[in-house]
Amino acid sequence: MNDHKFCFIICTNDELLLSECLHYINHLMIPDNYEIDLLTISDAASITQGYQAAMEASDAKYKIYMHQDVFLLNRHLLADLLDIFQSDSQIGLVGLVGYDTISPNGIMWHAPRCGGLYTKKDAATYPALCDYRYSVAQDGYSCVAEVDGFFMATCQDVPWNTVELDGWDFYDAFQSVEFLQQGYKIAVPLQRHPWALHDDNQILNLTHYDKYRQRFLEKYEAFLGKHYTEVLRTEAGKEN
Amino acid sequence: MKTITELTEEAENYFTQIDTHAEDIQSSYQHIISVLDDALSRQDGEALLQLIPYIEQGDGRFAFQHVGKTHRFHRMLHIIRLEAAFHQSLFSEGCTSARELWEKYSLTLFAMRRLLFCLSEESMAEAVHYLHNRPISYLAAFTIMQNELPALNKAFYETLAQIYEEIWSTEEIRQFYSLISSAQGGLE
Repeated sequence: MNDHKFCFIICTNDELLLSECLHYINHLMIPDNYEIDLLTISDAASITQGYQAAMEASDAKYKIYMHQDVFLLNRHLLADLLDIFQSDSQIGLVGLVGYDTISPNGIMWHAPRCGGLYTKKDAATYPALCDYRYSVAQDGYSCVAEVDGFFMATCQDVPWNTVELDGWDFYDAFQSVEFLQQGYKIAVPLQRHPWALHDDNQILNLTHYDKYRQRFLEKYEAFLGKHYTEVLRTEAGKEN
Repeated sequence: MKTITELTEEAENYFTQIDTHAEDIQSSYQHIISVLDDALSRQDGEALLQLIPYIEQGDGRFAFQHVGKTHRFHRMLHIIRLEAAFHQSLFSEGCTSARELWEKYSLTLFAMRRLLFCLSEESMAEAVHYLHNRPISYLAAFTIMQNELPALNKAFYETLAQIYEEIWSTEEIRQFYSLISSAQGGLE
């Protein structure tokens, strides 16, 4: 494992979006002595299969699983991620939008949200992007139960559930719980200027969402409605 | 604020609706794409604009409610309708399919965002180059900005007006500023 390497992992079906996504990645500042790599998967049977194959193929310690329609705005994002991971060795996953509780109905966005996404409405209140710097000490982060899958940065390889998830939904919720079950914390930085813009057309494609929600409700019934501390504590209890 | 029970009920109704109308959603979106393809290949503006009532009042509502891309196509159609009314070059000019129309809108938006986020000199130069070489009307520029970008400062509008100064007439530039001004209650 190369612990001075980041790998961006993106499942893609749209050249136009991917190209713009890469334009923003190519503008990121790379911390001294670190390198970046990119794996794009255009023929994945499911998102978990694509991510699992890329995870196995990459030797990078830091893997950033993200959507092709995400444009990274914080040019210091890589250094900021390192600061967060290094601030607490228990942190295994960082997202940009998260939820401190596992929603009782499994629908992530029905739980209180933290983190930030660039929105047209709020833009006037953001500091200028060119002046913006994140600081772990001053800005901090929240620990959460789940993160939104548009951006998931990891420093630990936890297998993706390729068996139960054969589509493109709910992989983020499943993976978040798996991280907690393995004793890793999940962090979401406080972003005075959002670190990313998600160009998702504002309407989610939820055609198959409910099918995987039912699987989530069944598999993780014990964690529904639980705060992340309860999920972590439960698993810590099991280990003891 | 809604309770979790109310939210769940609302979501489950939504999932049922998607399930019940899965075919309607798919077929109405496909209809929109085929009408766009056909009308654009023939440069038939009238056929294009007939999609507006289809999306707003007809079966196209299924696609509008559930397929995100429909919103931007709907916006493009409104731009084209405005341009036709004001005798401007149409946003669809040079596009012979729905895919090309989508690309033009996306690349224009990407270029505007690059100007907004100022990633690098090179990034901004590419954006200026693109916008200059694939010109759009002041009505299209205003509509895209208004719907996709935050409230911007005067410098941004001036940059855009400079990019288009050889393309837009003095009157069109004046109209552009006037639209922004009325939308924002005066420029900063």
